[in-house]
Amino acid sequence: MVETSSGGRFTVDDEVVAIAARTLEKDHWSIAVAGRTHEVAIVGREPLRVWVDGVEVRSVIADERALAAAGTGAGAAGSRHELRAPMPGLLKAIHVAEGDMVERGDAIATLEAMKMENELRAPERARVVKLAAAAGTKVEGGALLAVLVAAD
Amino acid sequence: MRTCRELGIATVAVYSDADRGALHARYADEAYAIGPAAPARSYLDGDRLIEVAKRAGCDAVHPGYGFLSENADFAQAVTDAGVTFVGPPASVQRALGEKTSARRLAAAQGVPVAEGTMEPLADEAAVRAVAERIGYPVMLKPAGGGGGKGMRIVRASDELAGAFRGATGEGRTAFGNSLLLVEKLIEHARHVEMQLLADDHGRVVWLGERDCSVQRRHQKLIEETPGPSVDDGLRRRLGDAAVRIARASKYRNAGTAEFLVAPDGSFVFLEMNTRLQVEHPVTELVTGLDLVALQFAVAAGEPLPFEQQDLAPRGAAIELRVTAEDPHAGFLPAGGTISLLREAAGPGVRLDSSLYPGMAVPTEYDPLLAKIAVWGPDREAALRRARRAVRETLIGGVTTTLPFHAYVLAEPDFSAGRYDTDYVSAHWPPAVAAELDAPAAAAAAYALVLGQAATASRFGPVRDSAWVRAGREEALR
Repeated sequence: MVETSSGGRFTVDDEVVAIAARTLEKDHWSIAVAGRTHEVAIVGREPLRVWVDGVEVRSVIADERALAAAGTGAGAAGSRHELRAPMPGLLKAIHVAEGDMVERGDAIATLEAMKMENELRAPERARVVKLAAAAGTKVEGGALLAVLVAAD
Repeated sequence: MRTCRELGIATVAVYSDADRGALHARYADEAYAIGPAAPARSYLDGDRLIEVAKRAGCDAVHPGYGFLSENADFAQAVTDAGVTFVGPPASVQRALGEKTSARRLAAAQGVPVAEGTMEPLADEAAVRAVAERIGYPVMLKPAGGGGGKGMRIVRASDELAGAFRGATGEGRTAFGNSLLLVEKLIEHARHVEMQLLADDHGRVVWLGERDCSVQRRHQKLIEETPGPSVDDGLRRRLGDAAVRIARASKYRNAGTAEFLVAPDGSFVFLEMNTRLQVEHPVTELVTGLDLVALQFAVAAGEPLPFEQQDLAPRGAAIELRVTAEDPHAGFLPAGGTISLLREAAGPGVRLDSSLYPGMAVPTEYDPLLAKIAVWGPDREAALRRARRAVRETLIGGVTTTLPFHAYVLAEPDFSAGRYDTDYVSAHWPPAVAAELDAPAAAAAAYALVLGQAATASRFGPVRDSAWVRAGREEALR
């Protein structure tokens, strides 16, 4: 567990650590944590992807209140997945309805882009809580298509 | 174009409206606009290309490895315009470009082919009849196609109608031809191909194989040479088969014979790619040859400067295709603008890249962005170098296949050379996500705050494709 606070205190597993950062360019830093240097970059924001020493981790900033409402702490259940159009295209079909349970890998929607039909799939077992776009419509890259909430 | 510069050959590039700032257009000595972004009105417009070649006074046209590179009519039109086509002549492209014709030619030379049709099929009933005769599972392929487009696996008769529609539709869109080929599917096969060179003087040599089994959508992601499963005997048999097909088709210039190798070491011929391939750098790295330079030499009528027995490949090479696709979303193509860029370098690393900072990744074309090719004295060293090169590479602003490559290079089956064409579906996405250790996670968390991607925050274990939770403490109050 890593915590930062507005007072500038930075803790890792409840221990305060010394941290020094140098901005190399926008979204790219050299950061020393307790003497070890790390190169960190934000390589994507929708969804958030962070690159640390050549390892890319994908992260979403979840609203703590939504997590609390879902009755979970740090577990997987209750995670909110926003299914977004990865690129502009034609939304050919939506394969689910609001309220449906889907398994990991199930097709949620078909997006036609780059001359290919692309199946957008559920990242894990989840419930479809919202559909935000209709079949047959053109969507922009990054457009919200559906919201899923992970199930146990 | 790098080869041309080394050889002192002046270069002329063409670009569509989407590629005005592209590296190839900037690198060439001259560059000409050929039309809008849509390929049909620019890179696939043969008349337009020939007009540019004539206006610029070009002696030769190199078709690269996409678009019109395997189009016999284009090769013929270039030749008719009095310009040298750097590739096999139109007659060879015709004989080998259509897949059933290539199968007939290979079978006539005693090269094994998969059970299936030897003539292209137009209607569903005919396709069904062949599928029922040879038995499921079968593979449907556009007869005039390539690059994995339109291919469909059919495991049972009730899947055939949908697969037929998909394969004919994609075939028509991509190749202007909806005829199909039906082949018996070979399970757990490896995709192994053999590089060929043939000159005008009757010399045909094979340069070694590439294992290209790591694929998604029947399209390659990783290629390596030597093939981990290929011993000297199999290598010679594949080489001999490729040379027989080349001789029978009066092949000239560079080409690649593609084979499927079954787990028992038996093989069947798939098709001939009558052009330079995307993955040619691995062969160049182990042979020390410049295939593009040899293509120019052969096209100029020069004899190949070596014989089969002169070739002694050294070491191992691996190529990783970095594409604008999201490996965590079924390899969906992804757009974006390159916000950060640092490409791998150093000993044994070759980068063939189209990337530059600020580049808007065109959504009109193939999602290939860059190729990282590495060489090592043996496979183990090449693997270590590939891992290092992937770690060095930083690409921001567009989702890429780099995390996929990082995973595969560390995955035990791949490291042991145990993989086939089902590898990606069997291993990806990983069951256990990559995780950062505490100091790295702390650095990431701190960066998120600096980058204003999070406010005063709490971060859980930082996992790949899981969720970093930065609870907004204010929001909770």
